[in-house]
Amino acid sequence: MHDLAALEADGVTATFVASTEFVAATDAQARALGFAAVPAVYVAHPIQDRTDAEMAALADEALPRVLAAVTRGSSES
Amino acid sequence: MQSVTTTASSPSAAAQDLPADGLVVVVKQDCPTCRLVAPVLGALDAVDAVVYSQDDPAFPDGVAVRDDTALDASTALGIDVVPTLLHRAGGAETARVEGWDRDRWRELSGVADLGAELPEWRPGCGSRTHDPAVADELLVRARGHLLAARRVELAGLEDEAEALYDRGWTDGLPVVAPTPPRVLRMLAGTTRAPDEIVAVVPPNLVPATVEKVAINAVLAGCRPEYLPVVLAAMEAACTPEFNAHGLTATTWGAGPAVLVHGPIARRIGVNAGGNALGQGTRANATIGRALQLVIRNVGGGRPGEVDRATLGQPGKVGLCFAEDEEGSPWEPLSASRGVPPGASAVTVFAAEGPRGVVDQISRSPESLARSLARALLGVGHPKLAPGFDAMLVLAPEHVAVFAEAGWDRARFGAELDALLLRPPEELARGADGIDEGLAGPTQPQPKFRPGGLLVAVAGGGAGKFSAVLGGWVGGRGGSSPVTRVIEEA
Repeated sequence: MHDLAALEADGVTATFVASTEFVAATDAQARALGFAAVPAVYVAHPIQDRTDAEMAALADEALPRVLAAVTRGSSES
Repeated sequence: MQSVTTTASSPSAAAQDLPADGLVVVVKQDCPTCRLVAPVLGALDAVDAVVYSQDDPAFPDGVAVRDDTALDASTALGIDVVPTLLHRAGGAETARVEGWDRDRWRELSGVADLGAELPEWRPGCGSRTHDPAVADELLVRARGHLLAARRVELAGLEDEAEALYDRGWTDGLPVVAPTPPRVLRMLAGTTRAPDEIVAVVPPNLVPATVEKVAINAVLAGCRPEYLPVVLAAMEAACTPEFNAHGLTATTWGAGPAVLVHGPIARRIGVNAGGNALGQGTRANATIGRALQLVIRNVGGGRPGEVDRATLGQPGKVGLCFAEDEEGSPWEPLSASRGVPPGASAVTVFAAEGPRGVVDQISRSPESLARSLARALLGVGHPKLAPGFDAMLVLAPEHVAVFAEAGWDRARFGAELDALLLRPPEELARGADGIDEGLAGPTQPQPKFRPGGLLVAVAGGGAGKFSAVLGGWVGGRGGSSPVTRVIEEA
């Protein structure tokens, strides 16, 4: 989140990917850092015991949302 | 009213009215020695002595007395005993006599026959400034302007413990309300300025001043003499190497633990003996807790929010102990961590709660080392190597086995390293029917990375039991132990 804030402050559009178990942590840190909204992309939990094929499927599913998050600035402007 | 809040006043203007030059006498009517010397105070009028009365502006009778019932002058003069006779020159004190001492009062006043009818000497009484009923008020009046923290007023009917819990300032246990007098007394434990930034505290990266750390030390139940240890622990914990942000946010249950080195441990009472890892010793119970409360209350590291521990463990309330450097046959751990001999320091390390290791049979160092190595393999998972760091706490009866056989700390470490080098077929995923493990190891792997296993000596004299404190992922991406020398006055 700190990296995200630093990148955004430098004008670099950024997002991050986490599993759904970390929504509360994101919200807490976002409030503390003054984020109105966090362009996070959440994927299904868990991660650690996924096979490579399962991870690839998760990534495929998340990719459009990641692209949407990092291009939101140009499309909105 | 319970107050974590009262508005501090600046030092009283009355203190500015002290005579810059000449004699000053401070008395109180409720003091037999002051009543005894009352007759001589009239004689001191002739030398323009200024008399302050702490409790009765009409005492002594017949003398021009300045009313110091508010104790501003006494506080400014640092009066401990009444009567006190002072000489001042150019606004500074040049001489002081506490109690009645005829020869010295004559010497200081220049009045040759002063108190001829009085005994040669009488001890004085305690100054009202030390009366517990007013000491806190005086402290805040004199030094309250040093406090910058936001004040919060509690209503008279609010329960203090409940109110602080409701505000989210606790770890679940009751805390001590950080009233201005308590915070000021805590700050007396250090010479560092209250507004000095100690560290930038994760996870929210909030600067913590000495005052903020002191407030949390009060909340935790620390005594003022613990504060230098807490400050050093904060500095150590907020380094990139220690990575308190990651340690707070991880789903693993380890938390920051504090090992105290050097003479300060004995001086402030950090337990290195029986039950060193348990309850019952205030320094052990509160220093680690203060560190965790700063991370919670200043840094924002709260369970359920950024703290994502799956299970956590009781040591996350606070874990602190000392190495038994006097009782250990080995050089202290601090020596290998760059602490000069005779200096005091802290090492902050990621730790789970302790797990005991039983070996009541081994009398050879080889056998006992194997027992300890077997227990250490369980840190994290027996098939993950290297993985997590750890701390091994050797109890006196165990370290004696090694010392009596001539093994020093270095020999013990080398023997342990050899035992903890595990073959790939033991660690591979699927080995022993367990999917967890390393992916395709081809070489023997050390259980711990270099520097990833700390060994300290502590514990009571009876019991062939040591303890393993598992840690967290070591090094980059995880946490490394950090040692800081403690700044003392």
